[in-house]
Amino acid sequence: MSQISDEDRQALRDGFARYLEAEAGQEKLRAGFASDRGYDNSIWQQMAEMGLLGIAISEDFEGVGGGAIDVALVMEELGRKLLPVPFASTCVVAAEMIVRFGQDSIKEDLLQKIATGQLTVSISGTGDFVSLSDDNHSLSAELSGDSWVMNGQVSFVSHAGVADYHLLGLKEDGAHSAYLVKASDAVSAERLTTNDPAQRLFTLNFSDAAAIKLENMDAEGINQVRMRGIAAVAAEQAGATRAIFDITMDYLRTRYQFGRPIGSFQAIKHMAADLLVEVESATSAALAAAKALDSGSSSAEKFVSLAAFTCKDAFRTVSAQAIQMHGGIAYTEEHIAHLYWRRARAGLSLFGSSDEHREHYLKSREAA
Amino acid sequence: MAILDRSASPEEINNVVEAWLDQHWDSEKRCAKGADSYDEKAWLTRVFEAGFCVPSWPTEWYGLGLSQKQSGIVEKAFAKRKAQGSARDRFHLGAITVFKVGSDELKRTMLSIMLTGPICCLLYSEPNAGSDLAGVRTKAVPDGDDYVITGQKIWTSNAQEAEYGMLLTRTDWDVPKHRGITFFLFPMKQDGVEVKPINQITGESEFNEVFITEARVPATYIIGSLNEGWTAFQTAIAYERLIMGQGITERRGKSKADSEPQLITLARKYEKYDDPVVRQKVAQALAYRELNGLNMQRAKQEIMTNGSSSLMSLGKLAMSRVQHGEAAIATDLLGNAALLDGDDYPDAANANFDAAKAYMNSIGGGTDQIQKNIIAERVLNLPKEPDLDRDVAFRDVKSS
Repeated sequence: MSQISDEDRQALRDGFARYLEAEAGQEKLRAGFASDRGYDNSIWQQMAEMGLLGIAISEDFEGVGGGAIDVALVMEELGRKLLPVPFASTCVVAAEMIVRFGQDSIKEDLLQKIATGQLTVSISGTGDFVSLSDDNHSLSAELSGDSWVMNGQVSFVSHAGVADYHLLGLKEDGAHSAYLVKASDAVSAERLTTNDPAQRLFTLNFSDAAAIKLENMDAEGINQVRMRGIAAVAAEQAGATRAIFDITMDYLRTRYQFGRPIGSFQAIKHMAADLLVEVESATSAALAAAKALDSGSSSAEKFVSLAAFTCKDAFRTVSAQAIQMHGGIAYTEEHIAHLYWRRARAGLSLFGSSDEHREHYLKSREAA
Repeated sequence: MAILDRSASPEEINNVVEAWLDQHWDSEKRCAKGADSYDEKAWLTRVFEAGFCVPSWPTEWYGLGLSQKQSGIVEKAFAKRKAQGSARDRFHLGAITVFKVGSDELKRTMLSIMLTGPICCLLYSEPNAGSDLAGVRTKAVPDGDDYVITGQKIWTSNAQEAEYGMLLTRTDWDVPKHRGITFFLFPMKQDGVEVKPINQITGESEFNEVFITEARVPATYIIGSLNEGWTAFQTAIAYERLIMGQGITERRGKSKADSEPQLITLARKYEKYDDPVVRQKVAQALAYRELNGLNMQRAKQEIMTNGSSSLMSLGKLAMSRVQHGEAAIATDLLGNAALLDGDDYPDAANANFDAAKAYMNSIGGGTDQIQKNIIAERVLNLPKEPDLDRDVAFRDVKSS
């Protein structure tokens, strides 16, 4: 449950949206592409200043004690601007994992630093923890004396190049376990070439890297973290979907052909009306998932799955049609439409495919 | 008059309504207590006098001044006992329109009659004015204190039972089409009104053609003002589309929140529920329905906070995809069995009926294509397409 009042939440969101509108335009977004981080670090620091990085962390660790609904609002705004900051990995999944399963010493050491923007955490894992299949890693954790060491390789790890810690979820003998590995010489990160210039993906190699095991794991808790990660990404996609839709509607009102705005043609209007249904459905689904998580509803599984495939699919459809509706201008690299479209395509498999979530949704609708 | 106001809690409202129904309604015989059988007019009059017909309207106009939400509690209590007459503030399009845009005189003379009588019928469409409804050609000519009406209407539900219809007419032929329309509350029970049922593709006959030949209506029955009927009509049509977006045209019991969705039951029965392709289709169909529900919930929330919501206009369009889609999946699940029909094959009969009935949502109340124009122009502010008949006197507009 969120500790933030409705009024404060709205104020937080409005303030963040205003800041992004002024400071996170396309120019800065593209400038970030050339950097190691992939984004402008001043934005991350401003988010810390506004209290957003600690939104899912309790007040005991300098967080603000927000819920899934607050995470969703931040993610929607980030999605609108396509900002590739490591918020979902560091401030949602890693923070939730540490809050739930971390020893007191880890909580004290890391949560406050996450909330204040002093460190970022990459996440990777197997099975139902993150999306990566077992084929994508050869990780193994072993006890050496009374401490753990990590060896092996894992791929498709977002933001790992500059992360201060790596959170690795493993499935060992059918049971979930998780380890934190600090960035060091024992960890090497090799950047992968990605289709979306905003995305930073790496292969991580561990050779006898010191690891801290999270001691208090339980299956239900893992599932909660998984659902919160999925709901966060869905909200990001809902925000991005609305943004590229708005950009497209502006163009339809101002682009003239045949002596009239192209938005006056019914062929275009009907596409726009159909897409609006997708845009609003994505927003509704993301909101329903966050609310169900915060209220502890037994329908949370259902709504999270619904949000997962609805938002992914809406983002893909709307961003693809946005290019079509713009025509030639959106076929140029300098136009922003393809950046939304690339993100939508990249988001297709994060935390499971649409088809997998549709299947999961159906199971949750069956009579018990 | 029941003693209730906006400060009443949901429990208080429910208790008052339940107590009233205990006193007045016989749930077993489904009629007023003490009566032998159901007398619609007598019962509706009782409900009307108690203020339960239109609880969300102000007390000076026969309501209780309750909020929409509170009004819903009254509606539920009535529905629980299968008692008629409540929620006319949500579903009686004629009364709602007169209440919203009628003159005080019309409201005073007609609202009590309308609320205690059958639902009004809608005399809008004509054979040559379907999607282009502003092209109506039914004539209204002044004659003393009355207007004399001649023309043909189509797609009229409840035309046999209705005592009144809401009638779109042409009163000025020398101005562009939207500016010469007058909207009347029209008495149906008179000479010169002939009703003929239409046989529909669903096998039903809920619609009629209405032939009007020199019938009369008092000038005081104009809803809104002379030649400004198009504006008044917008209120009526907006309510109609809103109601359709809630899936009101569907066969009853299609989807209850607490039970397993029918498509799942059907897929199991025809042993296709393990097929992953079928599962994907069923899941997506259920999702579309659930998403429309979530959108409408958000719309209601926005209406409570801001007084209006653009989301409402999406419901009817979204419902078309839901209904056509579900019917297509049900048909595929049945396979060859869908070729059959009739009482001996209820699954086939239902699937076939639903497939045809889905057009009621995607054509009735304005086609999906008209609805898309409305969404694009009013919600998304896309520019209107230039109309060829825009600045042309209606008598010079080309027609088929």
